[in-house]
Amino acid sequence: MSAADQMPQAKPGTNADILLSVRNIKKHFPIREGALQKVVGQVRAVDGVSFDIRRGETLGLVGESGCGKTTLGQVVSGLRAPTDGAVYYDISEAQRAELETRQAVNWGAGHRIDQLEGAAFKNFRRNCQMVFQDSYSSLNPRHLVIDLVGRPLKVYKEASGDELVERVVALLEQVGLDRQHLYRYPHQFSGGQRQRISIARALALDPDLIVLDEPTSALDVSVQAQILNLLHDLQVERNLAYLFVTHDLSVVRHMADRIVTMYLGKVVETGETTDIFRQPYHPYTQALMAAKPDLIEGEDTAMQSLEGLVPDPARPPQGCRFHTRCPQATPVCGWEVDDVVRWLDSSEEMFDKLSGVERKSAFDATLTFEDETSAQRLADGLQSDLVPAPMREATEALEVSGKSVRVRFREVAEINLTDRDNGRAAACILDPNDVKRG
Amino acid sequence: MFDENQPSLAANSANAIARVDDLKVYFNSKRGIVHSVDGVSFDIRDGETLGLVGETGCGKSVTGRSFLQLLPMPPGIQAGGSITFYPQGICEECGGKGCASCTGTGRTSVDCEACSGTGCDACGNNGAQQIDLLKLGSEKMRRIRGDRIAMIFQDPGKALNPSLTIREQVGEVFLQHRSEELLGAAGIATDAGGWQANILRRKASQMERGIEGLLLALPPLRSQRNKLELALDDMVADALTETQIANPRKLMGRYPHELSGGMRQRVMIAQALACNPDLLIADEPTTALDVTVQARILELISELKERHKTSVLYISHDLSLVRRICDRVAVMYAGRIAEIGTTEQIFNDPRHPYTRGLLAAVPTAASKRGELAAIKGSVPELVDPKPSCRFTGRCLFETEACGTFDPALQNVAPNHAVSCFIHHPPPEGARPSFDTKTS
Repeated sequence: MSAADQMPQAKPGTNADILLSVRNIKKHFPIREGALQKVVGQVRAVDGVSFDIRRGETLGLVGESGCGKTTLGQVVSGLRAPTDGAVYYDISEAQRAELETRQAVNWGAGHRIDQLEGAAFKNFRRNCQMVFQDSYSSLNPRHLVIDLVGRPLKVYKEASGDELVERVVALLEQVGLDRQHLYRYPHQFSGGQRQRISIARALALDPDLIVLDEPTSALDVSVQAQILNLLHDLQVERNLAYLFVTHDLSVVRHMADRIVTMYLGKVVETGETTDIFRQPYHPYTQALMAAKPDLIEGEDTAMQSLEGLVPDPARPPQGCRFHTRCPQATPVCGWEVDDVVRWLDSSEEMFDKLSGVERKSAFDATLTFEDETSAQRLADGLQSDLVPAPMREATEALEVSGKSVRVRFREVAEINLTDRDNGRAAACILDPNDVKRG
Repeated sequence: MFDENQPSLAANSANAIARVDDLKVYFNSKRGIVHSVDGVSFDIRDGETLGLVGETGCGKSVTGRSFLQLLPMPPGIQAGGSITFYPQGICEECGGKGCASCTGTGRTSVDCEACSGTGCDACGNNGAQQIDLLKLGSEKMRRIRGDRIAMIFQDPGKALNPSLTIREQVGEVFLQHRSEELLGAAGIATDAGGWQANILRRKASQMERGIEGLLLALPPLRSQRNKLELALDDMVADALTETQIANPRKLMGRYPHELSGGMRQRVMIAQALACNPDLLIADEPTTALDVTVQARILELISELKERHKTSVLYISHDLSLVRRICDRVAVMYAGRIAEIGTTEQIFNDPRHPYTRGLLAAVPTAASKRGELAAIKGSVPELVDPKPSCRFTGRCLFETEACGTFDPALQNVAPNHAVSCFIHHPPPEGARPSFDTKTS
């Protein structure tokens, strides 16, 4: 505690402080089907994400479950190889300049973590540690605490014998445990204590970066407060950088210097925590905040929620991926044929009557029904209040001919992250001031 | 000054739907008897949402499950106390709209079965039926479960049967509790005799046996069985529509694993509210869900609660949620109630050091990083606890008396009761105070 009071807060600084750079990371998981396990599609868990982590800062990564935040955390820590893109660790100024200007950089082995070898890879591994969400499954139930926490020290030949024991005791004391816990098994501890053991293990080799994957979501509030305080004290003491993966906005607001919000594998907004909480630039960030208001501050604000479900990441929506659920969607957000099919799916008889969809593109298709009335009903439906107003406006052509309906929507390019003021970026076509505060 | 000696339960007993009185549930373990719930008393008033909050292992789920005898016995031991349930019916005079005779609530108490409302020993001479849920036989309990008292569980992935379709799972509630309505809808007279009617009647309550399943698939029973199935389909579809599931008929043929978490929880809510229960026990219904979905499910629960005038016992560890949906809150700690009061009293004027600690531990916009007020230590083991305040060792305001005497739950204001010596002097020794902090 005392260390936290004396030392100045680690402030995000210049480019020179950048510890790790993530550039255009993609991680796709193949969907296999049939006896021959043929690849029939790709689940785009992470689909083009870039950010930097600076020394001593906490970067919060937030989003709903299934948005790819855990996968991204694993790619950053080198536990999963990305499908495309790279994570760069420990690169020089000159190399950084090259990284900023060129699309693809190939320095061969050396700084891309998926190409590191031998000593360089060992160096990365010891400097990037991970704390997992579920401490039940991430601590080996057959090992004693001294083995669990001492293992990294043994592997890197840092210590052995009595020295090892003393190092482990020192680590345990740092996380609020002590010598009496050395020869116990994980099941003899409570959830909060187990998470402390995980943190002690991550600290053993004095890393630069710890990837924290929902470290407190399985804990009670009072224990969560203890762990958050501990993480903060350790950060100040050791100038640690955290990548804090979580879905809990109140925790992220408390811990993070900067925030990256993800939706369906893409970053929708990044910026400094205080700025984002003052005024979110993306309706999704806005919706996340409204869904779980602050205990004290949001006393009178009603909880708001999002309609609909997260779309299938194997077929992400066109344009802005959030347009299917966005309360502030516009006609140019990427309305497409899949939205029509999704809408049909929600009405009882109509979907059964649909016999075929012939696509010219994602925005242009002919839907064929089993009878003419259904075709007419679809056309009427698409012009009525049953579909969102922006979707009606985005319809460029709607022709009924017999049993088939042709719909064409305005073609929209993918909406990418664009830089805004203050080092912030958001992937939304709306003007920041038009994103309504709920 | 408010009368400190008045027990907190005496107030407003008239309109309670359920009363828990000195409930004690213990568990046998290798290390001794665990006092999971150790003397918990509260009442749930008709039409209210009572929040039950506390940390893991404080006994809140055990309390909730005791209502429906869902705890495994052994290792569980019912060590004492009672849960009295006062079934409520729709007021006959106004049909639920609210009139003078039911004081505007649209609901009245059900007449005692033993004396049909005239007053006898079984009902304590007030004529209203009361049921001791802990002493109820298993057959009678079956009739209450899902019908008068229903439950929503934490993880819909585990609580739904993976090998049954949604239609079968939701339909089961109707087959168990609404067979007469089903028979009526299928055009089978209740008093019809003969073997055919008997088989159909058994079919409508899931009691068909042996060869009867085969007979039902053949003429002459087939057409009536089909009518029955269609009537059941309608009831299930109606129940699912209640929970805002689009296209319920398509969903009915699916299995739980084909649905998202939010959808599964909706199915569970549909199941729970199918028979319009008097009391709904929601055990952390949104913990397994995403924040965005969570808000919708909570909206749904409170909306349906309003429409059906159901009382809700809402068990949760999330204080910000409880604040938003509950009328009253009971804070539990280590098998005891630490504090109980209206939501406003608990959040704006917390009196128990534990309640204060919990509220301070939630990160908010105002809290500084690294300075969250964490409660020191961890929840005590409840194996053969000593007679002392359970919060000793973690409390900031502890005195000697806290370690030797057990504070009882006593009123500090109307509807607001606290079990802490700060508000009630201990039998001997010094009284703690919020002004003196112990390290």
